[in-house]
Amino acid sequence: GTGAAVADEGFTFHLDPLVIENLYTDVDTESAKFEEYRDLGTGFRLRQLDLFGESEALDREMELKLRNAGRDDARYMFDYERIGKYGLYVDYNKIPHRFGNDGRILHVRTGPGRWEIADPVQQAIQDDILAAPTVDFAFLDGLIQPYLAAEADVDLGLRRDRTLARIDLAKDRTVSWMLELTHENRVGTRPFGASFGFNNVEELPEPIDYDTSGALVRGEWVGQKSALQFGLRQSIFENNISTLVWDNAFRATDSSGGSAYLAPSGSSRDGSATGFADLAPDNEALSFFVSGRTRFASNWWANGNASYIQMTQDEPLLPYTLNSSIEGVDHETGATFQATDVTALPVRNADTQVDVLSLSGDAGTAFGEDWSLTFHARYYDYSNDSPRIEFPGYVRYHAVWEEIARVTVPYAYTKQNLGAELAWDVTDTTNLALEYDLESWDREFREIESSDQDSVKLSLDSRPNQQVSVRASYELVDRSIGEYLTEAQEFSFVEPEGINNQPGLRKYDEAAKDSDIYSVLVQFFPADVWSVSFNLSGQKDDYPESEFGLLSDEVKQYGAEVSFTPGARSSFYLFGHLAERDVFQKARQSGGSLSTSPADDWTIAFDESNDMWGLGWTGRPAEDWTFDVTTRWSKSDGGADFTTFGGTPSSGRPNGQAVDIDNYEDIELLDVTFKVDWAVSERFGATFWYAYEDYTIDSFILQGLRNYLPGALLLNADNGDYTANIFGVQMKFSF
Amino acid sequence: RPEAARAVPSAPAASDAAMVSWGDCGDCHDVLAAELGSTHHGRVGFAMKSDRGCETCHGAVGTTAAHMDDPENPEFQPRMDKLSTEQQNATCLSCHENGNRLFWHGSKHEGRDVGCLSCHSVHSSQSEDGQLQAASQTEQCFSCHKDIRADIWKTSHHPIREGKISCTDCHNPHGAQSPKMVNAVSVNEQCYSCHTEKRGPFLWDHAPVRESCLNCHTPHGSNHLKLQRTSVPFLCQQCHSNTRHPGTLYDGFVVPTLENPETGSNRLFNRACLDCHAAIHGSNHPSSPYLGH
Repeated sequence: GTGAAVADEGFTFHLDPLVIENLYTDVDTESAKFEEYRDLGTGFRLRQLDLFGESEALDREMELKLRNAGRDDARYMFDYERIGKYGLYVDYNKIPHRFGNDGRILHVRTGPGRWEIADPVQQAIQDDILAAPTVDFAFLDGLIQPYLAAEADVDLGLRRDRTLARIDLAKDRTVSWMLELTHENRVGTRPFGASFGFNNVEELPEPIDYDTSGALVRGEWVGQKSALQFGLRQSIFENNISTLVWDNAFRATDSSGGSAYLAPSGSSRDGSATGFADLAPDNEALSFFVSGRTRFASNWWANGNASYIQMTQDEPLLPYTLNSSIEGVDHETGATFQATDVTALPVRNADTQVDVLSLSGDAGTAFGEDWSLTFHARYYDYSNDSPRIEFPGYVRYHAVWEEIARVTVPYAYTKQNLGAELAWDVTDTTNLALEYDLESWDREFREIESSDQDSVKLSLDSRPNQQVSVRASYELVDRSIGEYLTEAQEFSFVEPEGINNQPGLRKYDEAAKDSDIYSVLVQFFPADVWSVSFNLSGQKDDYPESEFGLLSDEVKQYGAEVSFTPGARSSFYLFGHLAERDVFQKARQSGGSLSTSPADDWTIAFDESNDMWGLGWTGRPAEDWTFDVTTRWSKSDGGADFTTFGGTPSSGRPNGQAVDIDNYEDIELLDVTFKVDWAVSERFGATFWYAYEDYTIDSFILQGLRNYLPGALLLNADNGDYTANIFGVQMKFSF
Repeated sequence: RPEAARAVPSAPAASDAAMVSWGDCGDCHDVLAAELGSTHHGRVGFAMKSDRGCETCHGAVGTTAAHMDDPENPEFQPRMDKLSTEQQNATCLSCHENGNRLFWHGSKHEGRDVGCLSCHSVHSSQSEDGQLQAASQTEQCFSCHKDIRADIWKTSHHPIREGKISCTDCHNPHGAQSPKMVNAVSVNEQCYSCHTEKRGPFLWDHAPVRESCLNCHTPHGSNHLKLQRTSVPFLCQQCHSNTRHPGTLYDGFVVPTLENPETGSNRLFNRACLDCHAAIHGSNHPSSPYLGH
């Protein structure tokens, strides 16, 4: 070898490559979007290290790989194998996820799950509100802004630290075993809607400290015509911050009232001094699976899998509220109790359990010279064995006891698929396949208890010669439904409250549906140096029995790509992709009682287009020099056109017409990277690269955001536009 | 892999008089032999499993001996591309029909005439792992799944283009018994493998969440926050047209502006419905039948 390093116990090691990099990054804003899933900060990083070693007898080898070592997006991998006997693989992967920078809140984190406002501030705000003749947005905005201005900024983001360790025993032998252990820690914050009511959303950083541990043991037997896998998997999720408690910015002392969930407003100035949330509860999943395949002498083959999964959660429940002024009332006996008292709950733990049984299999045979037939079946049963727990009422927005008894609903369902595919080799290079699938659903506690969906799909795959490849498919889907139970929405009420969703609405995931789905990919290879491809695909979903809700959703996509590689010294490619999506939905606006007037109807027609272009050019002008240019440009342009019909939705609007939204997510990202490699010697090289990124977003949902808006105290963290220039110098060594 | 390790291992003793050794082929095909030496097939582990050298794979073409007698005759050249996709696959599967390739036979890719050599290159792979024809796994998948390539460049996306996860973290391209060839038995179990906090089961569940995450999310990329199929609040209104606020029109009239924030509705801006219904995937709080806190 060129640079064989030290031999230790018969091992010879090679370091190829070691890449050290210095980055200089200039970004014009504090947008978290720039480093959403990566770490590109100015400074040094160990970009790559690949250390390979093997024993003198060539029966053992090891590999160590480092990527972005020391950074937030680092990855470390180690692989050791005693060939034919056992192997060990360890992978440590850090994945950052940044949500926003420079957010601002009145709260200060004083504990793992505690956000507090200084008592004098909280009291002063309450006093001002109680003393004010009018409580409206102008007043509250003027009241809160000085306090906001005095606060420090907060960044929101978390990081996943994933570790995987796998041991393979007798890999690739007749009987082999695998043990895999995983652990993931997620730490950080993400935006959280911490609401005190219709007029008091207080967005906060949700503290995240999750641990997920997993273990998988798998055995495998591989025979001449058959194989079997079986295993046991366990996954344990632990939330180290199970409860979030936060102060109410507008209320320093507990109070309650019939309209307190509307505070602070002209309707009420009451409410709770603190809010609290039960964050994601600890849970476990245990699964057992058996998979197998076999080939029969009679030209038949079969595959199958049986899996059983048990998911459980038994977290202790929190009391109804922290608001000490709220008294609960038992709806049956009329007895009262303190709503902050956890012993007043009918149960103390969630005690939920779901058992999933999944059985699937397919079998097929070939007959004649050119025909094959395949059958498939799948049974997936999501059996929810959680108890139905009856609560005498609940506290609305930490503000008021609602004497409406509720009962938990263990949703469950069974999904079955049965189908067949007949395939015909029309010629040696052309295949035609016709596939049928029947998908049946049976549900508990939902609007549609049963549905059947028929799908017929025709596929063509042809490679008439080395220069052309065609793949095409067309699928027709027809879903029919049983009775629609509008009263399903009352399954969580102990006493019927009355239907308040439009009876003509069909929830789209259950509703009757007709779909056309198509796809065409044509690839030409006219010469060794050229390739050209065209692709077209689309899907149109119609919901013919739905009067309200989602009525149609159609997407059409087109693309083309060309690549040219005239020789070892140069290659070029260019691709473009266009997508158009049209969505149509309808609603009827009601007040306190359900409207039956078509004049109260309103509709939205969404129109979204996406353009995506890519270009790459690699050249080698001299033996030691290589350059590479890569460009990606992605642009979305969307609009939402609203229509009203003269009823309630039109009121107050200019000329009685709804106002369209033009910036239904108008987003653009340009990424240009230019790289030059210089192979100075066999063992040393240098790379110079420069990247330009420009990101802009114009979105209705983020438009006009500030820290205080009507009914909302927001983080307003920066996740928006940026322009970045990144310069990198790499030194590459091989030993 | 370094040059030192690229020597093609010598074949064990011949068990077949007609068999040719690595060296025999390497005499003429030195470039191919060197390329092979940098792969798993060129390592000692391969020789421990097969004593047939190049013929382990090329023997399937059945013309090796004749080729050595008449090397220039195309008819006798044991090129794999002379074989049908099915025959090529059978060659690879004679060793590799185990592990996550258990269900290759009967898989969607097999059914659409996609073969091992459609994605993998035994002699001259371009990828760091998996001996792929493309530079990375995602690029390999995008050579056919071009719509997905456009999706991952949308603003809301999984960290695929950043290289922190790849297609096979969720899908098994070699075949699976599950829909869309996901690694788990269902879409939701696949999503829960990373999003374990959403697994529940919760005291108060949201029924469509339990049936499929894809009812609300699109996994490969979206222009809307949190990979939503349609942006909130309109996504929610596709199922909820109730009395009061769920059925209310939230149009451009209630979008706030910096100049005029007062018209803004907190049911529309920022996280919209999710600012109050924060536990939309399920809540464990006795007071949250409406999936608040």
